[in-house]
Parts: sequence; structure tokens; C-alpha cells
Amino acid sequence: MPTSIPRGCDRMSDFKSPITAGTVTAADGSVAVADETATAKVVVRAAAGTAAATDLGVGFGESRLRADGTLVCGTRPEEWTLFAGLERAGELAASIDTTGFVSVLDITHGRAMIRVSGPKAAKVLEKVCNVDLSDDMTPDGAVFSASVAKVTCDLLRSDRDGEPSYLISCERSFGGYLHAALADACTEFGATLPAGLGIH
Amino acid sequence: MSNLRLPERPGEVIDRGTPLSFTWNGKSFTGHRGDTIASALTANGVEVFARSMKYKRKRGIMTADHWDPNLFVQVGDEPNVRAGSRRLEAGMQVSAQNVWPNLNFDVGTANQVVGRFLSSGFYYKTFMRPKWFWHNVYQRVLRKFAPGGRIHWETSTHGAYDKRYAHPDVLVAGGGPAGMAAAVSAAEADAKVMLVEHEPELGGHLRWGDADDLAALAELRSAVDAHPNIEVLLDSTVTGRYDHNWVAVMQRSHDIAPERLVKARVGSLVVAPGLIERPYVFSGNDTPGVMLSGAARRLINLWAVKPGSKAVVLSANPEGDAVIADLEAAGVEIVAALDARAGDDIAEVKGSGRVSKVVLGDGRTVDADLVVTATGWTAPTSLLNMAGDRPVYDPSAARYFPNQVPDNVLATGGITGNGSTAELAAHGTATGTLAANRALRLRHARRAAASRARSPEGPRPEVLEDTRTPLARVPHPECYLSSGANAKKGMVDYSEDVAAKDLVQAAGEGFDSIELMKRYTTVTMGPTQGKLETVNAAAVLAKARQMEMVDIGTTVWRPPYAPISLGALAGRIFEPVRRSALQDWHDAHGAAPLLAGQWVRPDHYGDPMGEALNVRENVGIIDVTPLGKLDLRGPDVTKLLELVYVNKWQKLDIGRVRYGTMVAEDGVVSDDGVTGRLGEDHYLMTTTSSGAGAVWEMLEDYLQTYRPEWDVHVTAVTGGLTSINVAGPKSRELLLRLVDGVDLSPEAFPYFNVRRGTVAGVEDCIIWRIGFTGELSYEVHVPSGHALHVWEALLANGEDLGIKPFGVESQRILRLEKGHYIVGQDTDGLTKAPSAGLGGLVKLDKPDTLGLPELKAAYERTDLPVLVAVQPDDPQLVPTEADQIVDGDSNRILGRITSSRMSPTLGRSVCLGQVDPSLAAAGTSVTILLVDGRRTTGTVQEHHAHVDPEGVRQNV
Repeated sequence: MPTSIPRGCDRMSDFKSPITAGTVTAADGSVAVADETATAKVVVRAAAGTAAATDLGVGFGESRLRADGTLVCGTRPEEWTLFAGLERAGELAASIDTTGFVSVLDITHGRAMIRVSGPKAAKVLEKVCNVDLSDDMTPDGAVFSASVAKVTCDLLRSDRDGEPSYLISCERSFGGYLHAALADACTEFGATLPAGLGIH
Repeated sequence: MSNLRLPERPGEVIDRGTPLSFTWNGKSFTGHRGDTIASALTANGVEVFARSMKYKRKRGIMTADHWDPNLFVQVGDEPNVRAGSRRLEAGMQVSAQNVWPNLNFDVGTANQVVGRFLSSGFYYKTFMRPKWFWHNVYQRVLRKFAPGGRIHWETSTHGAYDKRYAHPDVLVAGGGPAGMAAAVSAAEADAKVMLVEHEPELGGHLRWGDADDLAALAELRSAVDAHPNIEVLLDSTVTGRYDHNWVAVMQRSHDIAPERLVKARVGSLVVAPGLIERPYVFSGNDTPGVMLSGAARRLINLWAVKPGSKAVVLSANPEGDAVIADLEAAGVEIVAALDARAGDDIAEVKGSGRVSKVVLGDGRTVDADLVVTATGWTAPTSLLNMAGDRPVYDPSAARYFPNQVPDNVLATGGITGNGSTAELAAHGTATGTLAANRALRLRHARRAAASRARSPEGPRPEVLEDTRTPLARVPHPECYLSSGANAKKGMVDYSEDVAAKDLVQAAGEGFDSIELMKRYTTVTMGPTQGKLETVNAAAVLAKARQMEMVDIGTTVWRPPYAPISLGALAGRIFEPVRRSALQDWHDAHGAAPLLAGQWVRPDHYGDPMGEALNVRENVGIIDVTPLGKLDLRGPDVTKLLELVYVNKWQKLDIGRVRYGTMVAEDGVVSDDGVTGRLGEDHYLMTTTSSGAGAVWEMLEDYLQTYRPEWDVHVTAVTGGLTSINVAGPKSRELLLRLVDGVDLSPEAFPYFNVRRGTVAGVEDCIIWRIGFTGELSYEVHVPSGHALHVWEALLANGEDLGIKPFGVESQRILRLEKGHYIVGQDTDGLTKAPSAGLGGLVKLDKPDTLGLPELKAAYERTDLPVLVAVQPDDPQLVPTEADQIVDGDSNRILGRITSSRMSPTLGRSVCLGQVDPSLAAAGTSVTILLVDGRRTTGTVQEHHAHVDPEGVRQNV
């Protein structure tokens, strides 16, 4: 029996993202589009009043960063998405109190995730997303769903170092396309696309 | 060519230090940065820019701005460029469009001779008969005369167009004094403002005004520039206002694209477009050299171009008076200054290619090369119309005024009345403050309502009452139609070559309502869309019918306010594409791509028949990731399954799998798939690839509306689980090498079971013993981040077993050999469950199932089509899918072939088909009508399966 392919599979190093192109950055650094698919993602659905809903502690549309580095997002009514380092998916899922009508599902492999960041991040997004991204309507920490380049996405405004930054997650199979579409939107701000990356 | 460039003017916008070379009809010229194409050509002595549409009359500058009907030119491969507003660029190749053979001599001028036959309704009356002439002659000839330039799409260098969204609190349409003041005051009230101006500079009429105007302009511009809350879009037009202040803005001259459509959701829309100067209708009013006062003032003051040498000026307002001073300052001799307010008039203009003589209202004839008219203003109320307003005509001011608009639309500036610059700005300021108040109240409410938004810091702003002092309505004479004897020869619509006499004739023929007249004569239907013509047309009709203007009404202005390129509406092309985690591998290994909905799939790897045979003989693997997968959790999942599937689900043990079919409420088959029970309250449902989204929506619909009391969570996991079907007699042998934690023996893991296990070291895989091919097969669902590892491991470990990947085409062959139907292919939008061959699967004794009443009714019928397997009697003939099954003697349709392929296993053609029940019995001979008209025969088979109807191969 051939044994050329090792049967062992390292969960971390072997994880493949649907996005193969690297980070696309505007020449002046004003915006960057980066792949962050390699992140643990766990969706929790819990009826109001359950221990899980209370413990998660954020309402629909809000998010918070827990002390252990887990980002908890109120994605939909009675639905949360938890983000953390790739190696923590199991730990995240196990941490949820499942008393009552509660579902916990590891969707690490089911979603692509892209970060659009920089002073012009909102300018890039307003080319592909019809949501008011002004600071009062969509402040740091805001969670919402929207169509981005015609793909249904969950978005989180997660600023970094005082600069606007948006985490966008979509169904995994759209990941390559969405990355290309966002990179295309960056060309107005001086980004040069790698060969082969484009939507036309 | 002469040089008509004047010495420096105080408000000129040209950069004399930057000359730009360009060509006009092949000849070289030079202009300056800041010139429009038209101003640069006029400075070089060009007088004729175009030929009119119908009569091919020579046309020159009329308004010298974006709305000029005579300045449509071709620039390179771009047709219909507005030379009155398009800024000159170095190297532009500009040419006249729709002239043949050239601008100076156009054979179409013959139409002028027969002009009396080309009046209103000419097309309707002339091209009706003989009927066959339309397609073969008329249409072809008329297309030669169609206006609009030429699109050179083969060689076009146009890049993609663009779009963006915006959410300003206040959008100000118009950057004149009132608009600028409104923008500044709204911004000072903390509103986010978008200021849109269709010219390349802010300022409106101040730009070509006197020193005081220029000083006021500088002050307002600096206020706009200084405010960080204002985004200014120049060379842009607000083209439409829709419900809830959804506003479309067409942005031209942007670096990213030739045109960009901005879709703005606006709190308050401030309409400040100013006024559009109206032409005067007299014989010869379209002769080059006849222009409006605004055109003359723009040419002189913005671009320092002398518009003529000897001028006749007809003025009915202060702006007209001001043009006399500008002309004199430019060295133009005023041979007659006519005051319309005192009864002066122009009877007729004569000249070919340029004004030469002017017959005045008092009968005198003077020599002149320039006629300037200032006879009134049209209020461009389009955006107000789109907001529901029906402006009202005021005869004392000779123009329409806004009437009633919703609270989130406000008008300011000249469209509402007259005033000094200070008065206009003051009205704009008050309007901006009011607009900001209303918009910020709305924003406050939105912030309070939106879960993601920051809660408002304070109470909602109090309602600000509208205490604006209306601008005055300064009296203005009604100057529409000259008193000259030949006045009706004057043009009303320059774009469509519609003269006053055409309108009079139309009214005489009974088209005497303004809306009917418009459609009969095409007046206002050209690219200027009525901005210059609407009011004159109404005036001519009023006179013809001896009615008052106020009783005539107007045509309705609808979006778009200005023509929009189709490319701009399309914008960038966003067509989402879905790719499985393995698609890169398929691409790299020569797979022919198959576009299936949004998915790209491997159709085959070069030999679909060989790939299919290999599955029968050895083992093959196929990527079936697009298969819809829904994770179902909760204590009430069984109830949900009972509701949506036609069969029963109460007794499905953990680890077992069941096939189910769904029907819609009309009993028509809508989807199918298998569902496995993974845990006590945990199921995984699969759907068809194309139906995955619809099934998910349907489940959520029922759970959120009809059965909210059921505890079920549905999560789509299609892309997260890469699905690999391992099929063939050696599939178990292959998996034994790679699977841990699952007993693969047939006793422990029989057909229609599901297990969780580790495959090639990847944990949390789901292994189904199911298949579509009729072979022993397993479907492995792998967490997609590790799918490539598993795929490659399968290939490497199956090398000695003869493993090959196979594509969708091979799978279709295999499933047809096995007789499995595909929803949507072997069924259609009318196929009820009995016609899908579901047999005993459907349980009519359930308490509730979607479509149950229709199912019960359907199963009582005996006339529904039946799904059958058919084998053509000529084994080498493969009927085309959708070939009809007909009566043997006639073409009466008795069914159709729904699927057909050459079977590599049997070496003959095999089919599925829907047939009339009279043909459904095994052994029945059917007649198949082929695409080419020939007939062939086939025989209905006993089973759907052509291969292994007993299921021996899959049950080993």
C-alpha cells in the first residue's frame, strides 16, 4: 500500500484558505485588504434567557473583546459569532454553557474572512456596500450584515491603532471572489493588483 | 481660421500658460487648459459644430454649456460628447457626428427641400405601408440617418465604469450662490453635506458676472472649501430623486472611470439648480450666430472668446442688459439693442452657415453676424417633479414655480424666485439650516433605532419651523413666439428639429394635449429632454388653442434629468463566483470548467466516458461540494422534516440516512436529497446544488413565521464541508487505508448510513454511505480547510486501485445509467410528485406536509405524465434532451426526453423521459421527434435503472 502521503494532518499548518492572493495595499498605505480566514469562528445560537446568552453579554449589533482575546459579536438576534486564534476553535465551542436551547457550531472552515483596514477603508467599502459607515452609525465595534459586492456578508468594525478596520466574513466558497472584488475597489486609491487577480 | 481669443478677462478659467493641441475633423487646433471643446473651437473661428437631426441644418453654439443641443460631437471612440461642457484635453480627436460626407456638405440637406413633407407624424404616416417594406427597406435606410454618433466597441479604450454609495445628511443639487450657501449652513449645523454641481466649477451665474459677482463667488467658494463636512462633486449631475430620497448622481471626469454613478441615501435634498435660459422662437433662430445671452457671457467672461463682430441683442431682463456691456467690452459692435419689455422684437434672421441679416420687429433689416436673445428663464423643476411636485405657471413672471414638495426636499435659489446675490445666498443659508435640521432629526431617529449605531448623545433636535422669506417673483414679459410673419418656422426643439409650425399642425390634427403632442411630434424627447423646449412648446400650443399657459400644463419630467451612459448604469460587473476548496486543483489538472449557477465545477478531465467506466470498474472521486448542506439542531427537527418532506421521519435512528423529496404548496416537486441523523437532536440535510439557497430560506421562513414555537436552529454549512464522493467497487478498499474510527464493514456500515470519523488524519469528517452512481460509494464531508489534503491523500493511496477523478459529466452519465432523476431536469415547474416516480415514498396519511392537499389530489389523478426509462431502438442514436415524444402518426405531443446519454457501461444510448400514462407500461414503443425533424423509436423499460436495477452493486 502506498504511503507517500502522510496520514497525519496538522490542523494549524495545513489549514488552507480559499484566498490565495496576498495582501493588497494602496501605494500610500491608506488601505489594505488582507486575508484573515485562518481564524477560529464559532457560531452560538441561544434563546433569550439562557445562560449562554447571558454569558456572551453583547446585544445584536454589538461586539466586545474578552480578556482572553476572544471577539464576541452579536451577529443576529439570539445569534453570536466568536472569533479567536485558529487553534482555539474547540476551546471556544467547549466554553459555551449549552443548558437550554443552545446550539454551538464550529464554522471555522465555513467562512472566509477578510480585513479591510486603513484611513480609506470606508471609502473602499462604499464602492461595494450600501451601508452608512459613518462613525456614529457604524462605530468601532458595530456588527451588521450587508451585501458586499453582491455577496451576503457579516461585518464587524474592529479598529486597529486608531484607524478604521472592518472584518468581513462570507460563505467560504465566495472568499476568492470577494477578496478580488475588494482588491479591485482599492485600485481607485492606488493599489496595484497582483497578476491574475481581478473581477473583469 | 481667425483667432477670436480676447485679452485676459477677470473671471476667465483658462490657463493661458498651458496650450493644448487637438484636432477637429482632422485639422489641428490649439486651445488652453480650462477651455471647453466648444470654446476652444470658437476661439479658433469655428462656427458650425453639427448638423440638425432631420433637416441637416447647420448648427452653432446656442447655450455654450452642458445643455447645448447643438454641441454633440464625437471624441475618439466616444460618441455624444457634450462639447459645451467637456473640458479640452491634449490630443483630443474631435469630429462632427452624423454628417455625410462631411460637416460642410451633407447630402441630408435635401430634406430641407422636401421639408414640408417631413412634418409632424411623418414617420407614422409614411412608413406604415407596404408592410414588408418596413423590415427590408425603411428600417435599413432610416438607420443610416439615426443620430447619436458611432460606438467603436471593437477598438474602444474605455475602461470600466464605476459606482459608489453615499449617505450624506444633506445633498445640495446645484452649486450656484444659493446652493453653496445652503451647503455651508447645513455643514455648520453639523450635517454631512454633498454638494453637486454639473459644471466643472462652483459658482453658477456668478462665474461670468461682474466684479461684485466674482468677489461674492470667491467668498462662497472659500467657505465651501474650508468646511470639512462638505464633499463637492463637480462636473456631476443629480439625475434622479426616488422614494425615501434615494438620489442618483452621475459623476463625470473622475480618474477611476469616465462616468461614475453615485447612489446616495439622503436625509434632505436641497434643489438649487438655478434657471435655464430659454430660446426665443423666430424664423432662423437656429442659424449659427444666434445664441442666448448666457452663452455670449460665458464665452466672453469664462473663456475670453469674442462671439461675433456685429450683434443684435434682444433683452427682456437685466441679464440681457448685462450682455450688452460684456459684448461692448469684448469689442463687439451693437448694431441693435432691442428691449422686449418695450415691445421690440426680432422678426427673422437670415444667413446660411452664419447670421448675415436680421429683420427687426419694426421692419428694419440690419447686417449682423451675431444675435443674442435674453427672453426668459425655465425653472428646471425635474427633481421636484420626481418628488411629487406639480409646479405652477405664473404668467406675471413668465415661468413655473415649485408648488408642494415633501419635507425632505427643499428648493432654493433662482428656481424659487429672483434676488440679488446676497438675497439668493441668504435664502440658501436659511434653506441649508432647515435641511440640516430635518436631516439630523432623521439621523437621530436612525441612530436610536439601529442596533449597531452609537446611541444619540442628546435629545432629538427640535423641529425648526420654516420661516424663510420667499424670494421675490420679479415681473417678466411672456416672450415665447416672435410677432414676425414667419415666426412659426422657428425651432422649438433643436434636438429633434421640431418647429413651431409642426406643433400647430399637430394641434390641428387633434393632438392638442401637451402630453399627446409631445409623443406625436417628439418635441422635448431629444437629449436636452425639454430643458430648452418644454415651456416654448406649451406656449406655442396655448397660442394655437387660444388658451392660457396655466391651463395647458406641461409634460412630466421623469428620471433621468440628463442622459446617462448605459455603461455607467452597469458600473463594474460584480458576478459572485463560488469555488470549492478543490477547484484550484481541478484547474491545475485540466478540468473543463462548468458554470453551474454561481459555482465553477469540474465538468470532466478530458474523457468523461472513460472516467465513468473507471468508476464502474475501479474507483473514482468527484468533488460534489456544491451539494447543499444544512446543519439542523434542536428537539423539534423531526417535526420540521415531517413538514417539508413528503415521507416520514419519526423513526430515523442515529447514524441512519433517509432520502426525501420536497414539494411546494402546489404539489410540484421542488427539491430532494438525503438527511442523516448525527445525534439525538442533530441532523445534516443535503439538498440539490441549485436549490440549497431556496431550501434554506424556506426552512427559515417556516421556523420564523409559521412555526416559531419549534426549537430548531438551521445553519448553512455547504462551503465549510467539502464533499468528496468516493465511488466504485474499490471504494471501500481505498477508504480502509485512510479512515480511522469507523468500522467500514458492510455489516457495521450498511447502505444509507452515516458516521463521523477521521480521514487521512483529518478529524471531524462525516462519512455517508450513499451515492448517485449506483456503485458502492461513500461521500466524505471534510472540513474545507483540509480538503485538499484529503483529496490528494485519496489519489495517492488509490493509485494502485486505478483511482481517477471524475467530473460532473461522468456523474450525469452514471446516474442516468442508474436511473436517478434530477429535480429541475427530469422534472419541471409543473411536475407533481406522482410524475417524479416517487411511488410509495409519498405518505398521504401524515397530519401535515407542505403541499399535502395538492398531493392527495394529484394521487387521485390518472392523467399525469409518468417518468420512465427509455432506450432508443437504434442503440447508437442519442436523442437530444427535450426532444418530443409524439404520436406515431402525427406530431401530437405525448411527452419528452428529459435526459439522454451514451452509456459506456452498456454501449448504447439511454434516456429518461416524461410520457403520457398511456405510454408508461414497460415494453411500450414510443416515437421520438428529433431536432432535425426525423423520427426514431424507443422502448419504455421496466425500471428507471438501465444498469443494475436490483441494486446489487451499491449494496455490497
